[in-house]
Amino acid sequence: MTTRINPALIGFTALVYVFLIGPLVIIFGAAISDTSYLTFPPQGLTLHWFENIWAISAFRRTIITSLQIAFLATTIALIIGIPAAYALNRYRVQLPGWLSTLFVLPILVPEIVMGFSLLRSVNVDSGVPIFFTLLIGHTLLVLPYVIRVISAALSSFDFSIEEAAISLGSRPAKTFFTIVLPNVRSGVIAAFILAFITSINDVSVSLFLTGPGISTLPIQILAHVEQFFDPTIASVSVLLMVLTVIVMIIVERTLGLTAVANTK
Amino acid sequence: MTLPLSINNITAHYGTTKVLEDLSLDIGEGELVSLLGASGCGKTTTLRLIAGFLQPTSGTIRLGDKDLTKLPAHARDIGLVFQNYALFPHLSVRDNVAFGLKQRGIAAAERNKRANAFLERVGLDHLADRLPAALSGGQKQRVALARALVIEPPLLMFDEPLSNLDAKLRVDMRVEIRKLQRANGTTSVYVTHDQEEAFSISDRVAIMNEGRIMQLDTPETLYQRPANAFVARFVGFENLIPMTVTARDGETVTASLSDGSTLKFSQDRFGAIDDKFVLATRADGLSVSSDPGAEGIAAKLGLRTYLGRAYQYECETVAGKLIANGALSNPLEPGATAKLVPVADQCTILKPE
Amino acid sequence: MVESGGDYPRSLIEPGAETALQRATKDMKRFAGWIMASPATLALVIFLILPVAATIGYTFTDPDGLIAPYIWYFESAFRRTVLWRTFEIAAITTIISLAVGVVTAYVVSKSPPWVKSILIVLAVFPLLTGVVVRSFAWMIILGRNGILNNFLQWIGITDAPIGMLYTQGAVIVAMVYLFVPLMILVLIGVLENIPDDVVQAASSLGANPTSTFMQVILPLATPGLIVGAVLVFTASFTSYATPHLLGGGQQMVMGTFLHQRAMVAFDWVGASTIAAIMVVITIATVLVMTRIARKLNPMAV
Repeated sequence: MTTRINPALIGFTALVYVFLIGPLVIIFGAAISDTSYLTFPPQGLTLHWFENIWAISAFRRTIITSLQIAFLATTIALIIGIPAAYALNRYRVQLPGWLSTLFVLPILVPEIVMGFSLLRSVNVDSGVPIFFTLLIGHTLLVLPYVIRVISAALSSFDFSIEEAAISLGSRPAKTFFTIVLPNVRSGVIAAFILAFITSINDVSVSLFLTGPGISTLPIQILAHVEQFFDPTIASVSVLLMVLTVIVMIIVERTLGLTAVANTK
Repeated sequence: MTLPLSINNITAHYGTTKVLEDLSLDIGEGELVSLLGASGCGKTTTLRLIAGFLQPTSGTIRLGDKDLTKLPAHARDIGLVFQNYALFPHLSVRDNVAFGLKQRGIAAAERNKRANAFLERVGLDHLADRLPAALSGGQKQRVALARALVIEPPLLMFDEPLSNLDAKLRVDMRVEIRKLQRANGTTSVYVTHDQEEAFSISDRVAIMNEGRIMQLDTPETLYQRPANAFVARFVGFENLIPMTVTARDGETVTASLSDGSTLKFSQDRFGAIDDKFVLATRADGLSVSSDPGAEGIAAKLGLRTYLGRAYQYECETVAGKLIANGALSNPLEPGATAKLVPVADQCTILKPE
Repeated sequence: MVESGGDYPRSLIEPGAETALQRATKDMKRFAGWIMASPATLALVIFLILPVAATIGYTFTDPDGLIAPYIWYFESAFRRTVLWRTFEIAAITTIISLAVGVVTAYVVSKSPPWVKSILIVLAVFPLLTGVVVRSFAWMIILGRNGILNNFLQWIGITDAPIGMLYTQGAVIVAMVYLFVPLMILVLIGVLENIPDDVVQAASSLGANPTSTFMQVILPLATPGLIVGAVLVFTASFTSYATPHLLGGGQQMVMGTFLHQRAMVAFDWVGASTIAAIMVVITIATVLVMTRIARKLNPMAV
């Protein structure tokens, strides 16, 4: 197609992309600036602020907590979400309509309300320790992403090949693992990445579910910004961005490459 | 108003792939020409170039004395009927038909009047207020037709307009398209992969392959006198038999196959015959004879199938596998030897490839 | 679509009476479905529906009367302002994101394939970067010693730094920054769903690019635009980190107000009331707007 686009629109789009990417570049610049206050462009360059992250024990602890919570919540969400997505697609006719509505609910309920309600009911009223309440919150937060991505992958899955496998003598439960899962592997990978990143970056749910000794990295950043407005925050932000990219690459490389190997 | 279309030496690329090579085509005023060929032959590309959705690498496209080549699509004034109808789903049937008039700045009352008149012509005036989603495929195609006609374009183009309809409706619609096109006398380009459709509807047909026009002729000529092996195979000549002239005696030419057996040809019938040529026939054009003395191609018969009006045989010959028909009165068994006798008025001769 | 060529007689496919085997198979399938869906269903009921219902129910147990917490909320001008401000910020953010998103998505969807994939990746990357990080970037830009103030002083528009942080404008700019990528991605999907040949039909009928956009593309994209707008509106309406960092105490919105009532004032009735108002407005917006979007969708009759 050779479509001519109005140059004014192209110019506008270029500005939009400067607006989108510029601030991220600025954070990078601020993170390596050698002044003790946040400024851009950097006057001199230093990696001091990255060392500072590990030196501050609160950051050290929260990075570990964030990774633990993101990994566990994503795994649990996949374990309960994949069968649910499968049931919703495979047995749509047999299951009541309100069930699929139920799985959309976490998107409709504001995250901050979800966090507050979990604090009231699960932590305070039922006495569940804060770490586990936080884990429950993050699992619920990422569950709809998992179900939506897996459902999308399953919607293009031809269930008759599953029936073919069963007719050839494969037991239904085994068929799920040998036939269905390998065919939605890319959906599982996408769900994992999306869920992990959503959890790592979450503020609204975690806000109420952190307490003495237990906090997540984004919440710790919020607390730090209020007291010290220094480039450590910029370098933590860069760290989070790099972490995001690394997770994407690692998952894609490990799961992605085995997926390719298995199809051969 | 109707104008002749003239395409001169068009070459076109998709990226670095050449999809049309030095293509020229002249279509007279009021004439309907089909572009016929398998997918990827360049017929749709040609149509999109004329419509202005693609730009040629070189060459010109003229409509009457107007050069279209550099004009944007919306300024070309060509009526286009799409394969998937391409109706505007958010507009009523009437507003769909009136859309082109609206772009030409015609007032609402006038354009509704004209749209209604064309809807009446295609028999859909009672559905004018419906949305396209409420129509059947055939009705959608009628709306698309009315929408293209109402702007009274000097050129109409059809892009496989019937391929989404069922077989019976296809036949009805192509008759209807032909009648409307005749009545308006609009120059038309019709793209299709369906031979019967192209032959039944067109004044002339261009058979295309790999971005080139292999032959442009009337349906009758194409069907009976294909100009080359590609077109011959395309219109169903199963048997292409290479021959070499061995003797000339006035109007009669004797030619031999590779095993030395000979056939006689009349130049009265086939025109001047070169020293090397290819005899082309359909199965009907080779008659199976059990008479060993008949003048024909020696063959060993293979699988026999029943066609109703005749038996058809797969035959092993020096010219390779040939398909021939034999009389119902004399069924022959597989393995039998026979002669395949060419039927002169069912044969044509081609230049060797 | 091919025209369907008449249905088979019903009785051939579906014998009137259900055999015992068929019934058993059906029951088994329903059972299997429930088994597989139950862990996620239970998790949602126990940890989402019950706690949120408890929060909302809690607001109706006040000894001063059934709706006393709501009377408390709406009789204060300050609290009404918080609700209005939240609404205003969300609405302005939505409108700006929509306008910016439509134009950008249009250009992206019309770009050559390799440009398009780069532009899509560039829009996805900010989305994968956290809310805190992206809001924080605007603190660096808008702060007293921030880039913008440095720049304005350097070119001599102002002598002293302008206080841009902790204003409603700062919150809106950061929110637009937050949601424009989302809007772009949603709208690229919407625009690519519009069939090419419909757009080509418009131009073959003489519509220039502007008319094609206004008369064909925009009306067909409207249901998708509404979906995108709802997404951005509800997310802005319930946001916390951005108004907290860029608005601070002066620009209290529902999210920051909820946190303040619960964790600073320890007023759980008040916090629950705010939570209930947020839930009602969010769900009402989604329900009403998706219904409108469905009505406007010409593909569904």
